[in-house]
Amino acid sequence: MDVILLGFQTLVSPPVILMLLLGVIAGMIVGSIPGINDNIAFAVFIPFSFSMPAEQALALMVGVYCAAATGGAIPAIMIKVPGTASSLLTSIDGNAMARKGFGGKALSIAITSSVIGGVISSIVLLLFAPSLAKVALQFGYVENFALAILGLSSVVGLLKGNVIKGAVAAIIGLTVANVGFSPVTGFPRYTFDNVNLIEGIPFVPMLVGLFGIAAMFELMSDIFKERHSRAEISKPLKMGSLVLPKSLMRRLLPVWISGSAIGNVIGMLPGAGMLMAIFLAYDQAARRFSNRYEGKEGESKWGEGAPEGIAAPEAANNAVTASSMVPLLSLGIPGNSTSALFIGALAIHGMVPGPLLFSQHGNIAWMIIVAFLVANLFMWPVAFVVIKTVSKTIFAIPKEAMVGVIAILCLMGAYSDGANAFNMWVAIISGIVAYAMRLANIPLGPAILGLVLGSQLESSLNNSLTISQGNWLVFFDFSNHPISAVMMLVSIALWCVPIIMRNRA
Amino acid sequence: MKKLIVPILVSGLISASVSAYAIDYPTKPIDLVVPFEPGGSVDTTSRIIAETANTYLTGKGKISIVNRSGGGGIVGQTLVAKAKPDGYSILAMTSSVITNPLTKGASYSIDDFEPIALYNLDPEVIAVPKNSPFKTAEEFISAAKEKRLNIVVAGIGTSHHMSGLAIEKVTGVKFNYIPTNGFGSQVQAIVGGHSDAVLWPLGEAVEQLGNDGIRILAVASEERSNRFPDIPTFQEVGINIPIWATFRGWAVPKGTPKDVIAKLSALMKQVYETPAYVQKMKNSGFVATYRDAAGFKFVIDNYAKLTSVIINEEGFGKKK
Repeated sequence: MDVILLGFQTLVSPPVILMLLLGVIAGMIVGSIPGINDNIAFAVFIPFSFSMPAEQALALMVGVYCAAATGGAIPAIMIKVPGTASSLLTSIDGNAMARKGFGGKALSIAITSSVIGGVISSIVLLLFAPSLAKVALQFGYVENFALAILGLSSVVGLLKGNVIKGAVAAIIGLTVANVGFSPVTGFPRYTFDNVNLIEGIPFVPMLVGLFGIAAMFELMSDIFKERHSRAEISKPLKMGSLVLPKSLMRRLLPVWISGSAIGNVIGMLPGAGMLMAIFLAYDQAARRFSNRYEGKEGESKWGEGAPEGIAAPEAANNAVTASSMVPLLSLGIPGNSTSALFIGALAIHGMVPGPLLFSQHGNIAWMIIVAFLVANLFMWPVAFVVIKTVSKTIFAIPKEAMVGVIAILCLMGAYSDGANAFNMWVAIISGIVAYAMRLANIPLGPAILGLVLGSQLESSLNNSLTISQGNWLVFFDFSNHPISAVMMLVSIALWCVPIIMRNRA
Repeated sequence: MKKLIVPILVSGLISASVSAYAIDYPTKPIDLVVPFEPGGSVDTTSRIIAETANTYLTGKGKISIVNRSGGGGIVGQTLVAKAKPDGYSILAMTSSVITNPLTKGASYSIDDFEPIALYNLDPEVIAVPKNSPFKTAEEFISAAKEKRLNIVVAGIGTSHHMSGLAIEKVTGVKFNYIPTNGFGSQVQAIVGGHSDAVLWPLGEAVEQLGNDGIRILAVASEERSNRFPDIPTFQEVGINIPIWATFRGWAVPKGTPKDVIAKLSALMKQVYETPAYVQKMKNSGFVATYRDAAGFKFVIDNYAKLTSVIINEEGFGKKK
């Protein structure tokens, strides 16, 4: 308890707390611009941090990191372009809700869910960081393979009567994930001798294209149809009320808790990342929604404006931000690329994350943890101010102008990832592919999961089999790899239960 | 772009007319191209150097870091290889500049660069989990002769994988390589005890020394490190490899004027002689070193000779 107080004391000095607030504001803005993410923001900021005291620099980074994951939901809901990769699922139900004239409600759910996910996760971090880190260490190659299988199996929940098209989408994703250096042999595959493809198709520009550019095409076809039918040009969307009714809050509470729990667990595992967390949480919420609310009066379909579809991924992605600090602070293992930049920032100030950080620089270590809690609390009012100002303006822009705005935002975002013009082509082509998939009614979700998990599946399978000397049963070994065995059984259940249920019905 | 160029040109003209140095360099911002994402070891060290170097540079000619990642470094490396040789594009050069043309089909060659100075030499180490049964490198090698041990490396065909192949060659053991992408996942595999050992650069291994961390068995350098006098060298433990080290330094495109190279080399020396810089590097886990252009070239040539043999034998980068 003393150490937590010490961390709190370090944080509440005016310049430090001011930096945290500044970070939250900056992160919200950074997150809401597609293509610009917290990674890029840190890269720009790290040189400045040389001249700042460590606690101020780190407070600012914590603020940016937390708020960027939330800010991403704003454009996802308003224009169906996720500001950060972590909000890509939010764009599905969120944008559908906004198009129905409840944009305010969608944004309000997203922010409330983010804050709750972040707060729960910060409290877990505050209470259990060192002991949780030991759990994270249990994950080796075998467990990572089982986790990837579990992630892929969660897709089953996303496919509603569309199993074949869903499987096609997942295979497209897995196939595209093959591009680049083979992790197993070290030889390039499908790169067509283009050096830009050696590490695979650049991921951020691809996401920008799959969502942003595709959204632009969709808007264009809307405009075309309207002109064609000579209807009145549609009025700008309505914002609607920002207030969440109490009954909705009560309904979403279980989703928030399960989303945060999933985010907490996944965030601690290096390499699993935010995307895995949001998919698992989204799947969980989809099951709950279809059991309880789907088909009832006044309820939209899943994917067409269900509140759970916004709440689950947003709670999960903010839970990941805090929990990714667990292995980082106590073991020096970064949970994702953004938290890896914290190592750089700590190193600049002469601190090395790892077992010794808590004993040598306890005040800073605990300050970071407390800062996560406070940043999430700051986020609430800041987010509403941003929405009231920025988002109101966006809603007032007519569709025709919006096409141009999205195009510029997306191409800029794609380019700024690595400052490489090749990335703009990646975005444009991905956009065309995504739009074609939409026309063919092939869901995008499974394809993205395949893309994300492809290389992890391949290398963890190869490495597991190397270690087990070719024994495939290693994944079901209850005595040596119990975590893997349980995850594999759950995956099998995810596939089999719907089939059994259907046969019975 | 135009908006950027105009003030740079104008400021260049102004400072050119005001200053009356022997050589008029630098008169505008110098791009230090880091061909990797922000936050990695090359990026961190480059930022520490730029910070110190900028205190010695007056006027408009300050160093700014430009991250141009992609293609395992090739995108940024190619950019500098093809840049105008005027001293305003510097590459944060690593050993991958030598291997990328051979294994990944990069379009430049090592001869397209002119070395300026080396600032960090990171010898390879063999490290094991803290609770590993292997207390010494000798125990480790003799166990490897009994059965194949699992060795974590950053990827197949990387410098670390090749150092493992070199160990196999001189000791007659065979390893199972576990290619693991990303430093975090490598630490996880070792500290969590999911693999027998890892081949790492010393600078990265140091971060994991600690209560529950790792133990370093041997270091591939000619002499024991001043910081860790207890860790034996490869040769002391019977692995006949005098030195295997990844390096970091500065290089410019071929054809850059000699006096510009001399000036940059002198600047790097000035940085190296700054105590605060050495301390900052040390804090971040890097041993600050300095070798001038000729010394750097020697290291490059030596590394190229060692790796090209292995690359040819293994057939890395050849289409199958």
